[in-house]
Amino acid sequence: MAGRLIALLVPLFAAHSALATTDEGSFSVMGRTAEAAGEAIFREADRRSSGYGDLQVDLEMILRTSQGAESRRSLRIRQLEMADDGDRLLVVFETPKSIGGTALLSYAHKFEPDDQWMYLPALKRVKRIASQNKSGPFLSSEFAYEDMALEEVEKFTYRLLETLEDDQGITYVVARFPTDEHSGYGRQEVVLDGDAFRIHHIDYFDRQDRLLKTLDVDGYQPYGPFWKAGRMLMSNVQTGKSTELIWSNYVFGTGLDAERDFSTNSLRRAR
Amino acid sequence: MRRNLLTGWLVALLLCPTVSAWAAERLVFGSFQNVQNAENWANRMRALLDVDVIVEAGTGLDGRDTYRVIAAPPDEEAASRVRRIADSRQLSYWRLLDLQPAVPLPDQTRDTTVARVKPAAAELPEPVRAPNPKGRPSLTPAVRPAETIPADAVGERSTVQLLDLDVGAQARTFFEDGLDGQSRFHPSISLQLEYYRAWDEERQSLTFTPFYRYDVEDDERTHFDLREGFWTLVGDDWDLSLGVKQVFWGVTEFNHLVDIINQTDLVEDIDQEEKLGQPMAQLSLVRDWGILDLFVLTGFRERTFTGVNGRPRYYIPVDKDLTLYESDKGDGRIDGAIRWSHHFGPLEFGLYHFSGTSRAPLYNVVTDDAGQQWLQPVYPVVDQTGVDAQAIRGDWAFKLEAITRSNFPDRYYAYTTGFERTIVGVFGSRADLGLVVEYSYDDRGDEAFDTFYENDLSVANRWALNDLGDTQALLGVTFDLDSSETILSLEASRRLGETWTLLLEGRAFFGAEPLDVQNPFNPGNKGASVARDDYIELELTRYF
Repeated sequence: MAGRLIALLVPLFAAHSALATTDEGSFSVMGRTAEAAGEAIFREADRRSSGYGDLQVDLEMILRTSQGAESRRSLRIRQLEMADDGDRLLVVFETPKSIGGTALLSYAHKFEPDDQWMYLPALKRVKRIASQNKSGPFLSSEFAYEDMALEEVEKFTYRLLETLEDDQGITYVVARFPTDEHSGYGRQEVVLDGDAFRIHHIDYFDRQDRLLKTLDVDGYQPYGPFWKAGRMLMSNVQTGKSTELIWSNYVFGTGLDAERDFSTNSLRRAR
Repeated sequence: MRRNLLTGWLVALLLCPTVSAWAAERLVFGSFQNVQNAENWANRMRALLDVDVIVEAGTGLDGRDTYRVIAAPPDEEAASRVRRIADSRQLSYWRLLDLQPAVPLPDQTRDTTVARVKPAAAELPEPVRAPNPKGRPSLTPAVRPAETIPADAVGERSTVQLLDLDVGAQARTFFEDGLDGQSRFHPSISLQLEYYRAWDEERQSLTFTPFYRYDVEDDERTHFDLREGFWTLVGDDWDLSLGVKQVFWGVTEFNHLVDIINQTDLVEDIDQEEKLGQPMAQLSLVRDWGILDLFVLTGFRERTFTGVNGRPRYYIPVDKDLTLYESDKGDGRIDGAIRWSHHFGPLEFGLYHFSGTSRAPLYNVVTDDAGQQWLQPVYPVVDQTGVDAQAIRGDWAFKLEAITRSNFPDRYYAYTTGFERTIVGVFGSRADLGLVVEYSYDDRGDEAFDTFYENDLSVANRWALNDLGDTQALLGVTFDLDSSETILSLEASRRLGETWTLLLEGRAFFGAEPLDVQNPFNPGNKGASVARDDYIELELTRYF
């Protein structure tokens, strides 16, 4: 019986230095407070999704109303990890053609507000946008700008709510609370697996603590040590609208450069 | 016996003031979907740790019941003993230090009440773990990925080639006949092709964008322009463009003061946002200290003006055949510009100097042999220095544009400054509302013949509905603070399906003094020329 117990808990072994080591089996929330455990889980998730260097990916966005009307848009995304700061992100629209060439550049920062610019091809104009407007819809979708922004651990405080265990492994349920007063959320409840720290589900609660939206993520594929989602479905439970994101054609290590590919100049060039 | 024990437990529980006030520390030894499994596990923990272990029922995600197994040591000593045992057995647990959550959670979502507590059984059953809960996405199988990214996911950056065509049908309807008897209905059709191709790992690219408009009423508005046609070479921290290009500078909404590289295509719209392609060589240096742009502008593009039958226009029409240049090279003079732009945190700015043929002309009034008056455009060579800046603070964007221009015909300065405040999700909707307030000043005052903005206040509402059709609208009004001239403007657009766009534009001019036919070109009363040119424009565009 003790053997069975140990076998179940082996992944949780070596509790004290979970973050100091890089070995996959070493993570544990053991002995931490609910707050520290929650943060540790997201630090681990962050650690495991870091180190890819640069990537590009195609994104198809399908917007649906509660009446079933549908609108599609396709985007190309490029992302670059920065050593000392938050990541850089370039999003370029391909369709609908009326906004083709519109592009969004974002420099994420750990503690200050992100820097964001938008390029409007009709006017050839690069416009700085207020990243504090983060609760607004991203491209009229059910995703807010802040949902699409690159995640930095420091942007939330955390609290572990549950550790569920079954024969498929451990599942964590963590509440996280935005530190930014401009966030549209009071809190989020995130379901992650303890195997690779992938997010599978998020409940978003508004400032009045009403359930606002739910996110389901699936179709994870491994690219080396990195797991990337294939599909995300954001459903607004208050309006019945939903947005589906389909990610495809992940390519890593294309040699993207911070100045060459992520400056306001490259924003103008981007297609 | 069992029943007695159970009663004893319950009595003990009742005697304690409340379970949640037991101690400063509780230890959670797992959560289960099945209450029996939770109780089995609680029994084991109870036997092992020799402290009170309770099963707490709560409602988890999606309304599923969860049962937490919680050890509640009565004091600090017991707590550390429990931790020692748990650590030595490598048990999974986490600590609830606060009785009240650090950030209060609502009662309805995490209602924790003390539930069934059973006495320790003589023989401990094997714990059965919670089944995969309903509604919880099934986890991807725990395939440990290879430590390097597989070769087929590592690649070169995508090469892009695209060819787009858009065709627009536009109808401008004026509310009255023109001062010169021009008609009220002005339909036109436009075509714009865009070809783009990048190669050499995107180090080189070609852009080609020709534009054509056919206007039924106005021959001058029927025109072709190569909007862009250039080649770009991109280095690591520089890029070079050769060919015909468009470059926009500026931050404000109404008055575009600093923008100077491209000539205004005034027949397209009087808002000065439509531009003609400018032949140039542009070298751009991207450095830590910002971006430095160097322009050699080869050849001058003449401004377009509505013809005799066109609207809106000055009461006296412009005759481009009479155009004069100060430079003896005419429109062949090579102009230059240099601009430094950078950003520090929330502040974004650009500083530039331009030396060359002015994009805006001076005018002479000339009378031809038939006694008809014409405006003669005269393009002087000017030096213009300008600055544009924008600072973002919360929902506020503060903006400034300022220039000083020489030889026009004297040196003068002008600025425009203001703010835009964006209210996200206005009135609880998903729409964004922007409030724009901008003030413009031109030190030529009444002698400023080529702008409405001498001492004017502009106010606008910008709506973005964030719906499927990306519906947007900008409704603005500009007040002349010296006279009673007022300009109302509306710009709205929405997408219809995936390939159509509908644009609605309108302008109305109020408050000008009646036109003095003896002195029709009076900078102090510019509004008189366009007083009857109020219009509504509808444009339907199809994208291919």
